[in-house]
Amino acid sequence: MAKHETPLLDELEKGPWPSFVTDIKRQAEKKPECWDILGQVELSYKERITHWKHGGIVGVFGYGGGIVGRYSDMPKRFPGVEHFHTVRLAQPASKYYTTKHLRDICDLWEKYGSGMTNMHGSTGDIIMLGCRTEALEPFFYELTHNIQQDLGGSGSNLRTPANCLGQSRCEWACYDTEEACHHLTMHYQDEIHRPAFPYKFKFKFSGCPNDCVAAIARSDVAVIGTWRDNIRIDQAAVKEYVAGNIPGNGGAHAGRDWGKFDIQKEVIALCPTECMWMEGGELKIDDSECTRCMHCINVMPKALRPGADQGATICCGAKAPILDGAQFATLIVPFMKASADNEFEELIEFIEKIWDWWMEVGKNRERVGETMQRIGLPTFIKVMDLEPIPQHIKEPRSNPYVFWQEEEVEGGFERDVDEFRARHAA
Amino acid sequence: MALSKDELKAAIIKKAETAPKPQLYIKDFYACDPDTKPREMKNVANDLVKEGKLMFWSSGSTTMYAIPSRIKNEEGTSGVN
Repeated sequence: MAKHETPLLDELEKGPWPSFVTDIKRQAEKKPECWDILGQVELSYKERITHWKHGGIVGVFGYGGGIVGRYSDMPKRFPGVEHFHTVRLAQPASKYYTTKHLRDICDLWEKYGSGMTNMHGSTGDIIMLGCRTEALEPFFYELTHNIQQDLGGSGSNLRTPANCLGQSRCEWACYDTEEACHHLTMHYQDEIHRPAFPYKFKFKFSGCPNDCVAAIARSDVAVIGTWRDNIRIDQAAVKEYVAGNIPGNGGAHAGRDWGKFDIQKEVIALCPTECMWMEGGELKIDDSECTRCMHCINVMPKALRPGADQGATICCGAKAPILDGAQFATLIVPFMKASADNEFEELIEFIEKIWDWWMEVGKNRERVGETMQRIGLPTFIKVMDLEPIPQHIKEPRSNPYVFWQEEEVEGGFERDVDEFRARHAA
Repeated sequence: MALSKDELKAAIIKKAETAPKPQLYIKDFYACDPDTKPREMKNVANDLVKEGKLMFWSSGSTTMYAIPSRIKNEEGTSGVN
């Protein structure tokens, strides 16, 4: 029976979608402290102010991340949520786990916590919601010793790296995202479990420019698979698509009659750089203009494949909209070989150069993308020992990131422009 | 010249004991020795946590350091981690 009246929350059960209110009520039948979640949230809805106090000194011995302290500011009224700490668990690469593993985690959480989970947090961690301080160490002991499951990240740490399914399931993966994610996770155990930085730091690994882990939007270092030769074309398969013998998009939109496949309308006209055309019954691509949007490959996967000279593009500085709005990552290295053969040496060197700079000049609570924006891309490129390239410029002539230094200009800034223009028309 | 590890530890503790606020960012310790690289400073600060001389305070998104006796948690007890 309900411990608190929750008329406002009850409204959230009336819509067409599953409701967290219903879930919490169901869980409260097993874990009565969950009634106090509803009671406190109802009060917050009524008073329009939170009654959670976030943060604290709670943690498990030897770790400086993975636990987020949370308390009620009304513990006498809602004793079930007096302590309501969050525990983050590192998700396995590509989120491959067995149902047994998940059941074991959930059973353990029923034993020590509220039984409430959040699958998954935006970084990818499995989030366990709500436990008391005294339960943290025993939970952690059983988690690590009996289930062989580690904590994830929180605070000013390297957060749990995340990757797409990669070559385990996807023919478009241009490098082994799982190997990269696993290797860097093991390599940076200290940075994951102990705070190291001015603020959080994330890297994510996508195997191709479809970017299924949204690395470009969410990570400080986005490693996105790409190729530097030409899209591989099977002209016979192109003809089959044109003839309607192979459904576009792998048949993904076959539930409705869209009419006959039209390569001109559905592929060529939608190419953002207009680098495709049909000639003599064959599909032609000016690969030098391709921006790796993946649309043509997505629509005609049997006819088009990423090129064979594969690696990764490295973009830096994405973040969510906590300060100054959301920010996409900026392209820094158009192509880098990402290979386990050299233990991702080049990528590790790149990451550590960023850390050395950001730890020095980054302000407290400033993501690396904000530092890049504050200090400027030209400085960042110099710090990274890179030469400016056209891809670093966002919009030529309107928003140039790269500025010339006087010593880089023949004749310096004092040269006679009229004399120069007499020889070189503007 | 960079301080030795023990000298650096002593400087960090002194800073944490005398700072107006009990919680300090890792960057607040950089001034203890400008010649020590930030990553080395982080390692030394984390060593002090292992020794129980400093402890972490985390908001969930940011982590700070404090002397255990200078900080109390929401339960009214000083840090033991």
